[in-house]
Amino acid sequence: MNTAMISTLLRSTITRCLRVQNVAKIIGSATTRRDIHTTTPANDLMEFFDKKKNWGETNIRVGRPWKLDELRLKSNTDLHKLWYVLLKERNMLYTMEHECNDKMRLFPNPERIDKVQESMNNIETVIRERNVAYYQLETGETGERPVEDVVNLFGLREKYEKKEYYIPRFMNTRWVRPYLENGFITSAAVKKFYRLYKEKEYNVERKAKNKDFRHVQHLLKRFPDMSMETLKAEYPNVDIEKAKRSRKARGHFMPKY
Amino acid sequence: MRIYGFLAKKVGDLTIKYSNFPESYVKRSYEQVYWKNPSNYPQYPKAQVARKHYRFTTNRPWTSQFRMQNDRNMHRKKVFVEPVGEWSFFKGDRVEIMVGKDKGKQGLVTQVIQERNWVIVEGLNTHLRVVGKDEKNKFPGITIQSEAPLLVTKDVKLVDPETLKPTEFEWRYTEEGDKVRVSLASSRIIPIPKTAEETIDFKSKELYIENVDKDTTGDAAVKITFAPKLRTFEMDIMEEMGIKEDREPAKSFWY
Repeated sequence: MNTAMISTLLRSTITRCLRVQNVAKIIGSATTRRDIHTTTPANDLMEFFDKKKNWGETNIRVGRPWKLDELRLKSNTDLHKLWYVLLKERNMLYTMEHECNDKMRLFPNPERIDKVQESMNNIETVIRERNVAYYQLETGETGERPVEDVVNLFGLREKYEKKEYYIPRFMNTRWVRPYLENGFITSAAVKKFYRLYKEKEYNVERKAKNKDFRHVQHLLKRFPDMSMETLKAEYPNVDIEKAKRSRKARGHFMPKY
Repeated sequence: MRIYGFLAKKVGDLTIKYSNFPESYVKRSYEQVYWKNPSNYPQYPKAQVARKHYRFTTNRPWTSQFRMQNDRNMHRKKVFVEPVGEWSFFKGDRVEIMVGKDKGKQGLVTQVIQERNWVIVEGLNTHLRVVGKDEKNKFPGITIQSEAPLLVTKDVKLVDPETLKPTEFEWRYTEEGDKVRVSLASSRIIPIPKTAEETIDFKSKELYIENVDKDTTGDAAVKITFAPKLRTFEMDIMEEMGIKEDREPAKSFWY
């Protein structure tokens, strides 16, 4: 979207819009609705911006995101409406953030974006749960996109997400299988790649393990009276007895034995 | 493999709880990612160039002071933090100080800094600090008392509610199944204070004042409108909006 255009609009347009951004107004509409409604909301580009009274604000404090348990109480229609309320809010926040950056102002409370996003993710989770429940009851399957465990062309295990086609597989000459059949690694190149990849993976693990060991040695040196159970729980892969015996783990004092 | 490094949890749970921010926000506010491969492209591995080690201090991770202390070219010596297992010191706890010039004095915990095993006790273990000193305008600055953090492992001990003496304690379960701290000196429960749920935004959840423009009211949020029906979400919405669909989808193949 052209920022300059929006900026000009921001300066020239008189805000006439009456934004319905409150979830409460929609969900609990019976309580907040006025009896006589005379003006129609002007749904123009200014809906991408926050209310004018919030423009100079340094702190716009809002509540927490919607939790999964709260969303499970809501009907599908409510979730559908709430989704669009949140979508509009997120668009507004992105616009305001962009505009603030453009005008070199501080965007107040950027955590609002994360809160809205978390609510939206939770809505998706709840809807997916409901749909999966329906399909499992009716068809015995989840109704989700089918996923298969395959070995890819590099010889690595992968989840292959299947795609939908209008012709069956044997007729589809343009489709190239993106994974190895039966998971057999026959080619020398793949075997070599896989061996080197495994070596690299092993080295990363080895280095991480050594790093943990050294860290435990230093901890033992600094905190000799530390609880060994906690240490073991924190670093399960480290041989603590071995670390204790090492020179590095000894502090600057005479040994007790 | 390569992602292990940045999956490791650095900021404590109590810090996130106190901040009242979503975890994702705390993470993106303190992290310094210099380069990140584009996501969802098969040709790019999941890799990023980012600062690995952060120095956690009394400055909270989302503040600008934290950012300044962890500036791009600032590298400080590693701090070894003793593993403590389950965290047991909360805001509002009465503790006795075991070291330093205020040894033997009791006070209330005002801040918990889990990343360093620190607590700050109100008005105790202080030093004098001069702030606002201005040489040019000949302003000598104001001297204030500033509390220094104390280690939970050695420097402070919880106070027994019966004997009012410092005591060791243990986490145990009550018959109702609640997890409580029990003093080993008198076997009394040391309750977790109400102030422990204090955040930047409110003292307790009930005292939060709703933002009328943005927030959903509490009543509307807990109102049950869901009625179970044998329908998918899409079917329900289509019926609600009066969308009729009689066309049969063509046969398709998944592979």
